[in-house]
This record gives sequence, C-alpha cells and structure tokens, in this order.
Amino acid sequence: MTSRHGDSPTARVPDASMSLLNDVARMPLEPAYRTVADQRAREGRRRVTVRHQTMSALLAVMLGLATASAALALRAPQPAVLAARAIIEKQIAERTAAVDTLRLQNAETAQQIAALQATVLAAHDSPLVDQLAADSVLSGASALTGPGLRITLSDAPDVGGVVDPDRRVQDVDLQILVNGLWAAGAEAIAVNDHRLTTTTAVRSAGSAILVDLNPLVGPYVVDAIGDGADLQTRLARVSAGQHLATLRTTYSIGVDVSAKNSLELPAASLPELRDARVPAGVPPIGGSASAGSPTGSGSPPRTGGG
Amino acid sequence: MIAVLGLVIGVVAGLVFEPTVPVSLQPYLPIAVVAALDALFGGLRALLDGIFDDRVFLVSFLSNVVVAALIVFLGDQLGVGSQLSTGVVVVLGIRIFSNAAAIRRHLFKA
Repeated sequence: MTSRHGDSPTARVPDASMSLLNDVARMPLEPAYRTVADQRAREGRRRVTVRHQTMSALLAVMLGLATASAALALRAPQPAVLAARAIIEKQIAERTAAVDTLRLQNAETAQQIAALQATVLAAHDSPLVDQLAADSVLSGASALTGPGLRITLSDAPDVGGVVDPDRRVQDVDLQILVNGLWAAGAEAIAVNDHRLTTTTAVRSAGSAILVDLNPLVGPYVVDAIGDGADLQTRLARVSAGQHLATLRTTYSIGVDVSAKNSLELPAASLPELRDARVPAGVPPIGGSASAGSPTGSGSPPRTGGG
Repeated sequence: MIAVLGLVIGVVAGLVFEPTVPVSLQPYLPIAVVAALDALFGGLRALLDGIFDDRVFLVSFLSNVVVAALIVFLGDQLGVGSQLSTGVVVVLGIRIFSNAAAIRRHLFKA
C-alpha cells in the first residue's frame, strides 16, 4: 500500500495478529478506573446520593455473599464422591466377611482332616503320629495352647491432628519384635490371632501392616508361647528389647509386655501339599484312605520358598 | 470504600450462615470465583494507584462474574464448555498475575 491511494497508511504493528494477547497482558486494569479518575480530575467529585450509596452497599454485600458461598460450595466434597466411597466401603466389609467365613470353613475342614489322619495313622504306626504332631507344632499347622508372653503395641496418639507415620506402629517394628521373640526361644507366635510360620511375611502396604497378606488394625497383639519369664528376660537382652524401649520413649508408642498363664494360638492357614511319599517300611494303607491324597506321608507338608 | 465494606460484610455473612448454592448454578461456580478474584485484584491495584472508584469496582465485579458464568453456559450449550472455560481461566489468570505484579511493585518498590 502506498500513499497514492489517499488515506495515509497507519504504521503496521508487527504483532498485530496478537493484539488480543497484548491487550490482556498490558492492560490488566479495568480502563474504567482510569476514565473515571480522569473525569473526576476534570469535573471535581461526583455528587453521591444516599440512594446511590445504599444501592452500592447492598450490591457489595450480595456479591460478597455470593462469592463466599460459591467458594464454600466448591470446597465441600461432592456428593457423588461420598456415595462412591460408601459403596466401596460396603463392598470391602462384605468381601471381608465372606473371606472370614471361608477361612472358618477352611479351619474346620483342616481339623477334620487332622482328626481323620490321626485315627488312620494311630491304627498302623504310632511313631509317625508323634512325629506329625511335633512337626505340625513347628509348621503352625495345629492350634496351640500354653503359657507365654503377650506384647501389645499400640499407635501413639496424634498430636494436633497431624498424622505422623513415625508415631505409628510399622511393619519393621513387628518384624524386629517377632524375630526377637524367635531368637528368645518362643515356640509359636501369633500376631492379632494370625499364626506365624516359617513362610509368613510381615510387611506393609500403604499404611496398613499385612501378616500373610491379611491387613491388621492396631493395637497389635503379639502372643508368643514359651516360658513367660524366661522369654521376657531373653527378649530384653536381644536388640528387639532395645527397639521396644526406643519405641516407648522416643515415639510414645504403647508397649505392654505381660506374661500369661494360658495363651491360645490358632493354626496357621493350611500349607499346600507339595510333595508326599510313603516312607520305606510302611505298608500302604488300604480301604478308608486310599481314595484321597496320600495321607500317610512321613514328612509333614511344608511350603518352600516364599 | 462503602463497596469494600459491603463486600467484607457479605463474605463474613456467607462464611457464618453458609447458604446453599442451587444445584443448577454449580457448574458456573469455579469460573465465577476466578472472575471475582480478578475483580478483587483489579480493585486492589486501582486502590494503590489512587484511582479506586466504588462504582467501577462493583460494576466490574458484577459484570466479570456474570460474563464468566455466561461464557460457561454458552460453551456448555455449544459443546465446547471445557475448552471455553480453559480460555477464560487463562485470560483471567494472566490478568490476575499482572495485577498481582503491579501490586507487588507498589508495595515493595521492586
């Protein structure tokens, strides 16, 4: 474009295509503020009537009210989220109940199997029965009753509503305690009525402690069968005793150790049968037990690895 | 100043009485609150510039909120609600940022 066509060309702004963004970035203040200020400077203060004042005040109150309630409404949790949460909570409760029922059935069946096993074996070979009984104590396959030590760990109370993971009982604490108890000569251990075996894992998922994949809730009751007083003195000597003292003094975690005359430890979940053989010299059992799995096994079922 | 006073009274009343917002208005709340913030920052900057005016403040506040809600409504009707909301938030966000920077320069001279 040249000036030959009449109207003089305005200097082309190089970033004309971005005028909108420029406007936004360079003129963030309402231009009306400046306009009104200029007008006031020229004509003096505007006359303000009482009606005008009242209107302004009312409008301001309304706007403030609307903004505050809008902000509050946005901060409130959405009902849909709450509903979903309730459904999931219900499902968790239902499934947990179902698992408990199945576990109970499992235990009953295991008891029946053990009873049948005992009767069948007793008729033929008594040393095998004794060995099986001893092995099932070690492997946690049978429930036990006896004197022992009960140690209860409970989370420290929150200070000022702040959840501090250090003041919670952690999987490491339970691991150290359980290992310490084994080292002190405990014959059998259960945590919150979950019997520990050679393959039991104590670990954490999120903030929950799992024993054999079963989530536990505090307080954590660790039952160990053995000579109560003896266990207690030996536990104090190993590093676990030191650890318990640290938990109590530094993190205010509740540690309660008491000797009990009679503790009842449940059987562990039944181990899988991986390998079974009829030992040499034992006549094959006919009749009643022939249909099932080879129950007359010399070695108790053990799960390996893990 | 009567506008600021009224606004404060309104906010306190809102916090105390916690009125419920009609469900039909819920989708417009986020943008409306951002628009209100923009108006607030604009007003604060004007105050520091010495050109604050009750009427301009209230009108800009009201029009900001209404226009923002209208844009969301229009976007929802046309099927571009979320994109339009993003655009509005970007523009208002830039304005809030520049105003906040100007306020900072006023207060700290830096």
